[in-house]
Amino acid sequence: MITISFDEKVKIGLQYALETLHGCSPFGLERIRRLRFYAPDEREALETELYNVKALAESNDALKDTYTRLMTLMCQIKDIRNSLRRCRDGEVPDHVELFEIKGYLQRLENIIPLLETINDTAHLKGVTIHDPTAALAILDPQHTGSRGFYIPDSATAKLKEIRSAKKEVEEHLFHAQTDAEKDDLRLRRTRICAEEESEEMKIRRDMGARLSPMVEDLLADAETVGRLDFMVQKALFAVRYGGTLPQLTDGELVLEDMINPEICDLLAEQGRAFVPVSIALERGATVITGANMGGKSVAMKTVALNVLLLQAGFLVCAKKARMPLFHSVRMLFDDLQSIQSGLSGFGSEIVQFQKALCEVEQGYSLFLLDEFARGTNPDEGAVIVQAVTRYLNDVNAISLLTTHYDKVAEYAHDHYQIIGLRDVDPEQIRRELSMTTEDGVTVIARHMNYGLYRVEGKSDCPRDALNICRMLSLKPEILRLIEEKY
Amino acid sequence: MYDMHDELLRRLNETKTMSIVGMCKNAGKTTMLNWLLEQGRLQGTLGLTSIGRDGESTDVVTGTEKPGIFVREGTLIATARDMLRLGDITQEILMTTGIPTPLGEVVIVRARSAGYVQLAGPSITTQLKTVSGEFFDLGADISIIDGALGRKSLGARAVAEGVILCTGASYDMNMDKVVADTAHIYHLMNLPKAAELPPEAAEGLEKCWRENGAAFITGALTDSMVLPLLRSGVLRNGRLVVKDPSKVLLKPDTLDKLAARNIVLETEEAARILCVTVNPVSAYGWRFDKDAFKAAMTAAVDAPVINVKEELL
Repeated sequence: MITISFDEKVKIGLQYALETLHGCSPFGLERIRRLRFYAPDEREALETELYNVKALAESNDALKDTYTRLMTLMCQIKDIRNSLRRCRDGEVPDHVELFEIKGYLQRLENIIPLLETINDTAHLKGVTIHDPTAALAILDPQHTGSRGFYIPDSATAKLKEIRSAKKEVEEHLFHAQTDAEKDDLRLRRTRICAEEESEEMKIRRDMGARLSPMVEDLLADAETVGRLDFMVQKALFAVRYGGTLPQLTDGELVLEDMINPEICDLLAEQGRAFVPVSIALERGATVITGANMGGKSVAMKTVALNVLLLQAGFLVCAKKARMPLFHSVRMLFDDLQSIQSGLSGFGSEIVQFQKALCEVEQGYSLFLLDEFARGTNPDEGAVIVQAVTRYLNDVNAISLLTTHYDKVAEYAHDHYQIIGLRDVDPEQIRRELSMTTEDGVTVIARHMNYGLYRVEGKSDCPRDALNICRMLSLKPEILRLIEEKY
Repeated sequence: MYDMHDELLRRLNETKTMSIVGMCKNAGKTTMLNWLLEQGRLQGTLGLTSIGRDGESTDVVTGTEKPGIFVREGTLIATARDMLRLGDITQEILMTTGIPTPLGEVVIVRARSAGYVQLAGPSITTQLKTVSGEFFDLGADISIIDGALGRKSLGARAVAEGVILCTGASYDMNMDKVVADTAHIYHLMNLPKAAELPPEAAEGLEKCWRENGAAFITGALTDSMVLPLLRSGVLRNGRLVVKDPSKVLLKPDTLDKLAARNIVLETEEAARILCVTVNPVSAYGWRFDKDAFKAAMTAAVDAPVINVKEELL
């Protein structure tokens, strides 16, 4: 089963994606808050969900107003599931509960025609709401259609009698002259009020009992409303960020021109654009290498984000995608380690790795390791990461590692590299830097190509660090000493 | 006496939203409220709520018997959910407001019969304003807020055009003090409405006053702001406008000094005191001479004064 911590959600931009959604009904909000991932054996259910989301997204232009009306209606729904369960369990609902159930039924009644309109265009699968007419008739026996809830005098003959007696006493009280007369009338009134209450209680019990056989359907409708709510939000998300329905595979993971909405929006604020990333992964270990600031981690997070979006029933943020379903998704980011454990950064990293690996080996998984073992000395670190890479080649998982270390890539099944500054002339950047007051890092970032390319044959980590030193005009004496060693 | 009632009822019926504020326990707040709620007094459909919890049958603080709140058929009531079963009206639930209280969500019900209700409304003024708005949407003609004790209740006047101020012997054993303090609150609540707003005293009262000879104060107005300027003679002949009269924290003495310097205190949004009620009997045993008390109160304020023990029966 996929379980993702809140920190991880934040890290890969999944939390950001979720926060762009505007769930309306309490049931929809609950689904967003307690995000659930489809397991590989729920493939059929996931396919239905994806089909529906795609259909809703494609119908957005035609159904925009219907969605808005649906969302407005869903915002008015209250969570009455506990009151329904109380009816089912034979307890007596009070006035306010009956009022709220009535309101819920009226909202369902209004949603049904909207759902029909949507279905005429989008042809959703498996989204139906039971007809609430019979249930409404119990709570509104006179079919007034009013928003309020009131037990009418005509509910029982006895109630009618009691209520008219109550009115009569009040009438007498109004005209009563002596205190003795008034006291007597007040006593009578108290008795009548008690009778009224017990008669109303009987009626409420009866209403609860008559609702009880319908409770399961009404609870199912709450689920349906929640699902519909979430699906509409997923569709609108896809409209915003360009969702693609991936082709489901049994192993390989291919994402063409994928994006990360959070980073996209962040860059857009700065007037820059996210460079879409493409990657193809197979069972075994794949290593991404590249310069500092080159976006290795961004590529990795975007893979994780899209995998999780898919398994939560979203269309993915890519031009084209072929994706498998994973048993679990585990990620180790260098800055996500528990500081509380009392171990050193490296120690806790190993502990976390063990735990994650254990779960990854339970079924076909996605395993992400960002700059693994960076906290130890580079010679030892390289040896450790090489060994881990070799081991992961034979684990039933897609493992993706980013690393700085030498000679790791040659052990990997696949090797990707950030294009980075490969095609940039260092001299040109140096000139540009000498003419501007801008921060050097910003200028370099602007020239950085965040795209990935597949490295064929053996290749080592790129030597971008030296280039960056040159561009930033590191003291020439030091630069010379570095170059001697290269 | 009937003339006075007629005059008072005319004033009350002109007011769309009113709150009832007590200076102390046992001031006759509930007696006044019940009088208002009775058939034939206020015209049209009434909406009734309280700021916080009120309406117990015995006073929690003093143990004296308290009258229950009795509404007529058709009245709209906003009260906490748990309070509903403590009343005996025939209920029609009209809406849930989403406003939480310790006694459950505030619910609006229509009384389909006359009967007793227990009030526990919102405790925040903006929420009271919302509830009042709902009353009018649901067809009410007049909205009444039963205020609570203490300064907080002054906040209720921010949502009411008119205020009924209730005072009584329970406030203090010294009748002069009761009258003086009630008159002080009366004057604060009854500040005249400013015809136009002077510039806001954003960078201190003194600077604003020297430049404009008037000032608009959005926060609290305190003795320590005013007294130095009175002493130095800066403050004289002009207007001080406050946003919220409940934030005027000046001592009665300071108010007198301002008046002596010909400074008019005004407010951005004026309410008016509809009447002052007095209860000469204290919950703690002592009582005032009813005629002397009423006469002193009448002399101190410019609104009808009613003795709840005699004139509301």
